Amino acid sequence: MYLEIKNLEISFPTPKGKYTAVRNIDLEIKKGEIVSIIGHSGCGKSTIMNAVGGMLTPTKGTVTINGQPVKGPGPDRGIVFQNYSLLPWLTVYENIFQAVDAAVKNKTRDEKKEITEKYIKMVGLSSHREKLPKQMSGGMKQRVAIARAFAINPDMLLLDEPFGALDALTKGDMHIELLKLWNLENRSKTIIMVTHDIEEAIFLSDRIVVMTDGPAATIREIEELHLPRPRNKKEIVSMPEYKIIRERLLSLLMDKVEIDQADFYQAAEVEVG
Amino acid sequence: MMNAQTSTPAIELQSSTSLASRISVKPIFQKLKPSLESAAYTLGGFGILLLGWYLISKVTADALPGPFATLAVFWELIKDPFYDYGPNDKGIALQLISSLGKVFLGFSLGSLVAIPFGILMGANSFCRKLLYPIVQILKPVSPLAWFPIGLAVFQSAGSATIFIIFITSLWSTLINTAFGVSTIPADHKNVAKAFGFSTWRYITKILIPYSLPHIITGLRLSISVAWLVIVAGEMLSGGMGIGFFVWDSWNALSLEKVICGILIIGLVGLLLDKIFTLLEKRFSYSN
Ligand SMILES: Nc1ncnc2c1ncn2[C@@H]1O[C@H](COP(=O)(O)OP(=O)(O)O)[C@@H](O)[C@H]1O
Ligand SMILES: [Mg+2]
Repeated sequence: MYLEIKNLEISFPTPKGKYTAVRNIDLEIKKGEIVSIIGHSGCGKSTIMNAVGGMLTPTKGTVTINGQPVKGPGPDRGIVFQNYSLLPWLTVYENIFQAVDAAVKNKTRDEKKEITEKYIKMVGLSSHREKLPKQMSGGMKQRVAIARAFAINPDMLLLDEPFGALDALTKGDMHIELLKLWNLENRSKTIIMVTHDIEEAIFLSDRIVVMTDGPAATIREIEELHLPRPRNKKEIVSMPEYKIIRERLLSLLMDKVEIDQADFYQAAEVEVG
Repeated sequence: MMNAQTSTPAIELQSSTSLASRISVKPIFQKLKPSLESAAYTLGGFGILLLGWYLISKVTADALPGPFATLAVFWELIKDPFYDYGPNDKGIALQLISSLGKVFLGFSLGSLVAIPFGILMGANSFCRKLLYPIVQILKPVSPLAWFPIGLAVFQSAGSATIFIIFITSLWSTLINTAFGVSTIPADHKNVAKAFGFSTWRYITKILIPYSLPHIITGLRLSISVAWLVIVAGEMLSGGMGIGFFVWDSWNALSLEKVICGILIIGLVGLLLDKIFTLLEKRFSYSN
């Protein structure tokens, strides 16, 4: 197995004592798989991504890639951070180029410049290449972060809500670019993505990991998708499997909302009574 | 309705000539308004100061020279600022240049030491724990207390003056640099980690740009104190400089010259502060 997460637990020290964000996480991912993680906000999705990315050390359990424990971050994993994490004093071009220059080995400076240009073009920011992050919208910043992660050509892409700030049209374009990139490398790149968007998860993924709510969140269910590739957004929505998975995910994510609503009505009745 | 329609061409005709001026004059005036206002307040404040000064000099029967007498002396001073009649009699500009030279030399040397050590303290908690107590003990010491040590080491009053400016320039820069470096957000550090930045790239592309506004604030505070200290230092060391000029004027019993000296020191101090405030603005990256 390419990526193995075994009995992972991550706790944070807080002023009120230890806060366990996630526990008992077991997940195995094959090389070239696309896996989405969905769950309510605060359940620990980013925490799991950071453990795989090497930004966090597990409190318990292990994360191994190719049998080697993850000891820290590295350019074999391209990360799109949830908050974009662009350097505010660097332009679009420089934000990407500095990452490429640092992470890509065995290439000349000119080749690295070419790579940078190519990915700026891919995310449609060519005319904004000299802008600073503060001069851009959230969606534009997100695209810079995507270009930066893609441009270093990592074996694994870790995308934490990478398309969340994008409008539907741009989002669609980005999905295509992501799959293009994946196909280009003979589907050998492993992609793990956190998302809130059920349709997006179904369109892109081989498997969808649904989390329980925190604290001490864990994996609730893993959905296997057998939709044929290449997928076409218009075609798959009419497939029976798409509808079944969609219903299943909705009910997994929504039952909490319904309980909340019931609580709300009860509370309202009590108040009225 | 009719009225509005018929009057429209007239307005257009009229405005076609003055359009450019109408568009540009109004925003410029609006931009200038705050600075005009603050200029008015400044003038008002100085008016009150001058009036008070005038009254005090009247009441004390010119024991304190009044504004007009002082202005006459001021004019004499700046009429020929570059004259040089031997070691104890030089023009005001030469005195000023001498002081500024000493300040910039001491300040530059101090900054060259303080910035790297500040970075070290900010980046490394071992260095911080080791150096911070030293800084805490030495910072509150008046830099003038270092003057004898400077004299002993350098055997020259001029070098000793530069030495105390050097000491003066260390602390604020050191502390602000260390603060800047120690508050680099985890987000920025994660970028460096995730993309495998070398130490050099981390320093030049993250550490320095992030800390630069803090460093410049430190430099601004340092040079302000250095400008305070040079005056006192030159009173001790003698020789040349604006502080020596003030002391020498007192010995020559010219309070008018002393007051002129004070005004010039204040103006130059303000100018130094403004220069560094501009630099701070130039290098801040937030909105
Ligand atoms: N550094 C931290 N210190 C303390 N608590 C944290 C820290 N990082 C995350 N948490 C907590 O862990 C939980 C999971 O956070 P996160 O992984 O960001 O959630 P998600 O990405 O699913 O929205 C949250 O309750 C959050 O408050
Ligand atoms: Mg998150």
